Amino acid sequence: MIFFENISKMYKPDTVALKNVSFQIGANGNEFVSIVGKSGAGKTTLIRLLLREEEPTSGKIIYGGKNIAEIKNKDLSIFRQKIGCVFQDYRLLPNKTVFENVAYAMEVMGATDYEILRDVPRLLEIVGLEDRAKHFPLGLSGGEKQRTAIARALAVRPEVIIADEPTGNLDPYHTRDIINLLEKIYDLGATVILATHDKAIINSLSRRVITLDNGEIIRDEEKGRFIL
Amino acid sequence: MFTFLRRVIRFGWHNFWRAGGLNVATVFVLIVTISLITTLFISEGAVKHIIAQIKEKIDISVYVAPETSNEEMEIIKDRLVEMPEVQAVSIVSKEDALEQFRERHKNDPVLLESLDIVGTNPFYASLNIRANDPEQYAAILEVLNSSSLDDIIYKVDYVEKKTVIEKLSGFITNVNTGGLLMALALGVVAVLVAFNTIRVAIYDASKEISIMRLVGAPNRFIRGPFIVQGMIAGAIAALASFFILLLVSYFLAPKIDAMTNGFNVFSWFKARAFGLFFVQLASGIALGVISSLIAIRKYLTA
Repeated sequence: MIFFENISKMYKPDTVALKNVSFQIGANGNEFVSIVGKSGAGKTTLIRLLLREEEPTSGKIIYGGKNIAEIKNKDLSIFRQKIGCVFQDYRLLPNKTVFENVAYAMEVMGATDYEILRDVPRLLEIVGLEDRAKHFPLGLSGGEKQRTAIARALAVRPEVIIADEPTGNLDPYHTRDIINLLEKIYDLGATVILATHDKAIINSLSRRVITLDNGEIIRDEEKGRFIL
Repeated sequence: MFTFLRRVIRFGWHNFWRAGGLNVATVFVLIVTISLITTLFISEGAVKHIIAQIKEKIDISVYVAPETSNEEMEIIKDRLVEMPEVQAVSIVSKEDALEQFRERHKNDPVLLESLDIVGTNPFYASLNIRANDPEQYAAILEVLNSSSLDDIIYKVDYVEKKTVIEKLSGFITNVNTGGLLMALALGVVAVLVAFNTIRVAIYDASKEISIMRLVGAPNRFIRGPFIVQGMIAGAIAALASFFILLLVSYFLAPKIDAMTNGFNVFSWFKARAFGLFFVQLASGIALGVISSLIAIRKYLTA
């Protein structure tokens, strides 16, 4: 489903973020993949390339049979609607309530008001935020913000959820909470790509782990552990 | 399409009311800009009034020979009135001229006494001519001199007044050109300041724009609310500016009236209230929308 073919990414003047990286995700249906590595190993660059926030210096990323570099700018929004994103800094819209943040993702893809009123409360229930619907992000805890971001990512019924250090700003209790949610999403049929450097999470998951070091894949194991 | 419009308007409305600070600053700058543009219109009205007043004061007198009859005077008057350059002609008879002289010098017994010594009315009847434009006097005189009227014209005081008339004409032209240039320069500065404020507001929202893009919002969904925000800011600023200027013109009217010799700024404002408000609203919305469109462009390139 997603193929990274000989991807390299260089930043001027001489920083190599990724070196000839090749792997595939979701070859046999949906998958839960963790990408681990130290800070600066290339995890975030990989995610930015997949979202086409940046272009690789060389190589191809094939998503759903298409080279994403060939997607026209005007069709980029449709491509991104298929991917749900969760980030360490939550990236919520500060002037929208929890309900509106989640609804926004549906509104931009053209969902009807009926669908929004039907689905958003359900999504907020899944992430345990039904009583926070009218709150603005500023009044939420870190865990609540991240759960809002997950609800928003789920709102578009994505094929893939990308979570870049989603627990980076959370305490252990909320960390477990978020990981449980991601596992639940995987069980519902979506592919989850989790980038993290949290050893405890990786070791508790017991799922596929791709380990990056200095822009190169040094390990790709089916039931991997955090080894650096 | 209707759902899209409804959502874009709602997003713009929410962004405007919820973002606070910077929107208040934007509205404030737009109020200043719109008020400045409107003040330029008002100044133009005041300058026109002053110029009209000056023009009113300029005229020339054509003195006719003593034997000219009243009928002949009327004929000359009719001829002059027919000329497109002439705005008004009035006949001052010998008697009127004497009366005016007495009135003017009623506090100078020596002069009045000398009149009595002369015994007869020494004044000439005259025609006071006012042209539409001070620059047209020369042309009017040329027509007078070249026509059959030349014989009965005794004297024209244009030569004495020529320097003053030319100076006033020059002054009027300078005021018009200078005022236009100043208005243009001020207008450009005001528009640039307003544009920059909106640019800063959109720069402030650049992180939000990147979030919207990540969520998969198409460009029109990102651009739309900012345009709506610009329209709301422009409309509120236009409304505020209208009432501020209405109040200011009401309270300053007596002073400006005295300064300009009869230009009532409040009446002027009231008479053009609808048109002025339309100009303010149009310039406010146009400023808001165009600035937003230009400023947001660079965030929507990829």
